[in-house]
Amino acid sequence: MAGEFQELVKAVQEGEQERVRELINKALNDKVAPLDIIEKALRPAMEEVGEKFETLEIFLPEMMMAADAMSVGVELLKPHMSGTGAASNQGRIVLGTVQGDVHRIGKDIVRIMLEGAGFEVFDAGHDVPDDTFVSKIRETKPTILGMSSLMTTTMQNIPRVIQALESEGLRKSVKVIVGGAPVLPDWAKEVGADDYGENAVQAVSISKKLAR
Amino acid sequence: MISFWDVVKRSEQGEKISEDVFNRRVGKESAEVIKKYDIKYNPEEVVSSDDKLADRLFDAAVEFFLKVGVYCTDTGRVMKFDKKELFDALEAAPSQVTWGAGRDERVQKARQAEDSRPPFCNFTLVGTPYSEETFLQAAMSAAKEPLADCFSAGSLAHTLGGVEVRSGSPMEVEAGIWDVGKRREAAQRAGYPGKGMYTMVSAAERADAMIAAAYPGFGALPRDGMLHGAIAEMKVDYDRMKKVPFLLRTTYMIGGLYGPLMGGYAGGPEGTSMVLVAHHFLGRLVFRTEYSCCFPIEIHHTCNTTRRMLWLVSTSHQALSRNTHLLHFSNTFIAAGPCTDFACYELINFGVASAVSGADLSPSAVARNRHPERCTGMEGRICAEAAHAASRMGMTRKDANQLVKKILPKYEDQIGKPPLGKTISECYDMERVEPTQEYLDLYEKIKKEVSSYGLKYPSFPRG
Repeated sequence: MAGEFQELVKAVQEGEQERVRELINKALNDKVAPLDIIEKALRPAMEEVGEKFETLEIFLPEMMMAADAMSVGVELLKPHMSGTGAASNQGRIVLGTVQGDVHRIGKDIVRIMLEGAGFEVFDAGHDVPDDTFVSKIRETKPTILGMSSLMTTTMQNIPRVIQALESEGLRKSVKVIVGGAPVLPDWAKEVGADDYGENAVQAVSISKKLAR
Repeated sequence: MISFWDVVKRSEQGEKISEDVFNRRVGKESAEVIKKYDIKYNPEEVVSSDDKLADRLFDAAVEFFLKVGVYCTDTGRVMKFDKKELFDALEAAPSQVTWGAGRDERVQKARQAEDSRPPFCNFTLVGTPYSEETFLQAAMSAAKEPLADCFSAGSLAHTLGGVEVRSGSPMEVEAGIWDVGKRREAAQRAGYPGKGMYTMVSAAERADAMIAAAYPGFGALPRDGMLHGAIAEMKVDYDRMKKVPFLLRTTYMIGGLYGPLMGGYAGGPEGTSMVLVAHHFLGRLVFRTEYSCCFPIEIHHTCNTTRRMLWLVSTSHQALSRNTHLLHFSNTFIAAGPCTDFACYELINFGVASAVSGADLSPSAVARNRHPERCTGMEGRICAEAAHAASRMGMTRKDANQLVKKILPKYEDQIGKPPLGKTISECYDMERVEPTQEYLDLYEKIKKEVSSYGLKYPSFPRG
């Protein structure tokens, strides 16, 4: 089976959606366990893509193509895994850029990498009002909330959301991680975040740690 | 030239697609034109001297721009332009502008690669947060530098008079008005009351607050500038476009602010260099820009002094200088903090690479532009003096490449772990607003070393 897994890894990394579909269907016909396909092919493929992006051996378009190919694979496997929750067994995350901030590329990269690492991500978007974060938390019950800000005039909205979660009695149910250009580790701690990620790679590693 | 209102119409009537589809289109078309025009990054030619490459890069950017267009995030529509509209807009751009007033008036003229005229220099503390207490002195540290043809200040951190400054709140308007006043006060106290402001306000992000701050009584001079940022990559929104009808009725200058991420939607150094050139087309057509600030940054290290970034800076500015008469500033983003050897090397490399490539210069975002109070006028001096030196000695791009490659090994392996350096209060005498002897000595030591590599520093005026 190792050879087929290797082929699937390659197909994901090269963004070959049709090839991914073909190889997964073949593996399912051969009675390979869906969880094995995820754990031994899809996830390692995306982990390697993440590592290559970290060292800039590849760039965002290639990473997006690989993520799309992985999604095709996960969608194919989902019906075979109902009830196990294994398709996204790392945990659930709500992500967004805070109100007033229209920047989104950093948040988008974090989303792609978290999905690749096996998290189920609800992207609340950019310029997200405090209430929307609160209602998303209530609706999706995530393990983690990730917020970012790229400006000194919007980063104050991060503690405002944290306070809103406290007022609504939701703070204890969710870990809060923060990031973005002006956001620094000491400030993150000061405003009551659980952790801080300097970049997308760190966002994935702290999410894994907090989701344990 | 196409009217602004025709552009607005296109933002309401163009093809409707999702932002995600547009992002993917940027990546796909970027990869295609880079291949078609044979644009290849060469790590050995960090400062490129290949004129044909610069011209192919420009042609690739034209084809990319005409195919992809500009995405309006408010309407979800793509604004498309034809080749005649694009070239009309480039032709109609000013090839020179006048900044400032009185004896501080300075003229900026379009430059060429290997131009012996030094770059026009804007000293800026862009984006670095300062408290209300240090904001003025920090701005003075930039305004008082003799090589600063115009200047800008930092960003106000969090509060004004104890009240939080939050985008969209009434305090944003208040902070914007305070900001422009402090900038002008900084110029006055530094002894250059008429020095031009490259961007008159940072505390106001939204159009309403920026427009409020631009009321002449608050501190702006008639030819001060206001920047419009494109949302990376190739996107705009109505909040930015709203400033245009206001500015077209004023004497203020209209600037474009372009910061594509190397490693982002446009791909690697080749695609990002091409997209940076294409952003100038966006700026001319959508914002009607008269000058631009280019700050491409590397996606993980948030700087533009790595080998790939210097290549990107050099090729994009050469493409613009050889094929347009646009006024384009190259904005330094360094990884290290003030008063470190590391920062000096980054600043010198960036200044030299930009100057010989035909760019004007806008130093500096320091310490990855994220650490409070870690940026001073001294970093501007280090960068601008290197740029002046290279231009005034008639340095060729080939020689610049050798110099830059000699300096690169001093920091490139450590770019992920740069020293944080000192805050302005730690490396400046804050009463006199002058660098400490420690900082001056450090710079003299590095200057001596770099001189031995072939960069001939002329004598510069002080104070």
